[in-house]
Amino acid sequence: MNPKILVIDDDNALREMVGIVLSSAGFTPEYCPDGDQALAKFKAFEPDLVLLDVMLPGKDGIAVCREIRNIAGTPIIMLTAKTETTDIVLGLEAGADDYIVKPFEPSVLTARIKARLRPISTLEEAVNIGPLTLDVVGHQVLKNGNQISLTPLEFNLLLTLAQKPKQVFTREMLLEKVWGYHYKADTRLVNVHVQRLRSKIEEDPDNPKIVTTVRGIGYRAG
Amino acid sequence: MLKLLRRSVQARAVATTVALSGVLITALGGFLSFSIGNGLFEARLNQILAESESAVIDVQNTFAASSVNDEVALQTLLNSVVPKLEATGVADSRRVALLRTPGQAGIQLLQSPISSGLDTQLIGQNFRSEVRNSAGRVLYQSIQLSFVEDGITRVSPGIVVGSPVEIPLAGKYELYLVFDLSSEQQTLDFVQQTLLIGGLALIFIIGGVSYVVTSWLVRPVKIAAEVSEEIADGALDVRLLEKGEDVIAVLARSFNKMADSLQRQITKLASVSKMQQRFVSDVSHELRTPLTTIKLAGDLLFEARDTLDPTLRRSAELLHGQIVRFEVLLNDLLEISRYDAGAVRAELEIHDLNQVVGMAIASIDPLAKNRGSSIEVTAPNDEILAEFDSRRIERLLRNLLANAIEHGEGKPIRVEVGVNDHAVAVSVSDSGIGMTKAQLDRVFDRFWRADPARKRTSGGTGLGLAISLEDTMLHGGMLDVWARPEAGASFRLTLPKVQGTEILESPLSLPSDDDEGAKA
Repeated sequence: MNPKILVIDDDNALREMVGIVLSSAGFTPEYCPDGDQALAKFKAFEPDLVLLDVMLPGKDGIAVCREIRNIAGTPIIMLTAKTETTDIVLGLEAGADDYIVKPFEPSVLTARIKARLRPISTLEEAVNIGPLTLDVVGHQVLKNGNQISLTPLEFNLLLTLAQKPKQVFTREMLLEKVWGYHYKADTRLVNVHVQRLRSKIEEDPDNPKIVTTVRGIGYRAG
Repeated sequence: MLKLLRRSVQARAVATTVALSGVLITALGGFLSFSIGNGLFEARLNQILAESESAVIDVQNTFAASSVNDEVALQTLLNSVVPKLEATGVADSRRVALLRTPGQAGIQLLQSPISSGLDTQLIGQNFRSEVRNSAGRVLYQSIQLSFVEDGITRVSPGIVVGSPVEIPLAGKYELYLVFDLSSEQQTLDFVQQTLLIGGLALIFIIGGVSYVVTSWLVRPVKIAAEVSEEIADGALDVRLLEKGEDVIAVLARSFNKMADSLQRQITKLASVSKMQQRFVSDVSHELRTPLTTIKLAGDLLFEARDTLDPTLRRSAELLHGQIVRFEVLLNDLLEISRYDAGAVRAELEIHDLNQVVGMAIASIDPLAKNRGSSIEVTAPNDEILAEFDSRRIERLLRNLLANAIEHGEGKPIRVEVGVNDHAVAVSVSDSGIGMTKAQLDRVFDRFWRADPARKRTSGGTGLGLAISLEDTMLHGGMLDVWARPEAGASFRLTLPKVQGTEILESPLSLPSDDDEGAKA
């Protein structure tokens, strides 16, 4: 069955055009023209991925992103016309997995969607790191027997780090392995998501023990 | 002291007042002391002359009335004259001499009576001859008396008065009276001393008063200066106290009016600037959304161009190319607007300039190959570390390279990297068509092209160098250019190694600094 994509954008022409691109790339699109209906549409459609415009009439994209994150870990890609630092960081902090700056090419759009939908490929069934146990098959993280809910992206990020404990990953390496970027991309993606991950798994996110920062280089687990 | 005078209006005002009043008081004091001295002298002189005249008449009458006819009696009479006329008070000392006129026939029979302590040398020969020829009038002359008191020789003014006296049997004599004016001198000294002390005190008082008055006048100006300083530092709502109806209140009111108007203007400008930034942001969103649709549609058509007939295929290709160009133009416009709105902040980190140059060359390489230009790089082997925003500097270098390729006519392009103690530099040179002096002056202008008639082959926006210059300024660097028609152009970027430090000298030199070159 084709992956279902929910396109939340107020611009009719763009929504339809994105739909055409998605359909021709083998996805099943569904549309939502404003922020107020977005959550209802999301619940009804149960998409595999959400394309979300930042500037929406009614509820803005950041608020919609936060709402969806509250109930599901579904991948969210923000579509943004703004390249200003604060807008992008706000979107990422609200829970977006990735962002695409308008105007974009069809190939970029489909590549980013595919990267987010790609299943995690690993031979191991479970990985232990510190007090955490990562159940790769069940996509679950247990901490002292309690389940922690991570988004697929956060799970993937943690798994990537945990599979090679002690190894330092640069932000560029993580962008390639976790986000699927093969060229230079925005390292803020990594920074923001490491922060989100820490806030879920660490006892004290400001003084992390599981995912630690290696100054000037990147991150490592353990 | 001079510095204080130069810097303080008040010090200058006080100094001027003191100097002027000093001069005037000195003149006035001089005049007073002179006229008092004169007055004292005149009064005393008149008294002396009156006394002398009566003394002379007295003496004359004494001799005329006497009927002495022998020498002894005459000498006795003569001797009685002097003590009669003498006075030896401290305040009013008078000494007497009765001298025989020299050059008379016969010998001097009688002794000349002279007051004790009177030095007859004081009575000059000239004066004596004047007295002899005075035909009985009383004459006077000012002299200096000197006397010894407590072992110290003192000098005091005096007057000698003389008159001829006819003495029966003895012949012509001259009667001299010497008056001491030291009491008048003392009075004058006292008056002068009083005037001096009074004058000095007056100058001192005037200085004090002028200090108080000027500080009272200068204070509002000082406060106004302080308030201006505060306003200049950004505290736009600071105002002066408006009190009273005088000129200072008028100054305060005008000042406050000016500050109000300034504040309004600045607030207006700030809101315009905010609106401008808002506008840029809105344009960004509003243009980008339709452009995204156009781009997606154009790309689908472009992908499917092989299935279209030749006319439509060419149209799809043109559309695709122009969408790319439109996007670049939009990005450049937004970037320059961001600079205009002052909304640009560099993301500074330590980078290896060699690496950034390499990335720029790698990304421009397809264009260079397409135009047949080779790129020759001369760079030190070591890392060239400096603090800069790598995204902007790479974009800047890409832009310089694209320009060199476009105007280089397929000839090799030389890239040089240099470093010194405080700065790093990259130069990009071509050997193409170059530029004239007039063209050089406009090379960083927005939308300016060296030759409007030239075909626009590489699709530059005309904003590239303007943005490059802004990027350079953002880093506190220099972007210099040298060019000569038909000899090519050379651009040199110099950046400080550490942000905030000054570039003393670029590590690289431009081809030549003759008059064909120009700096930006």
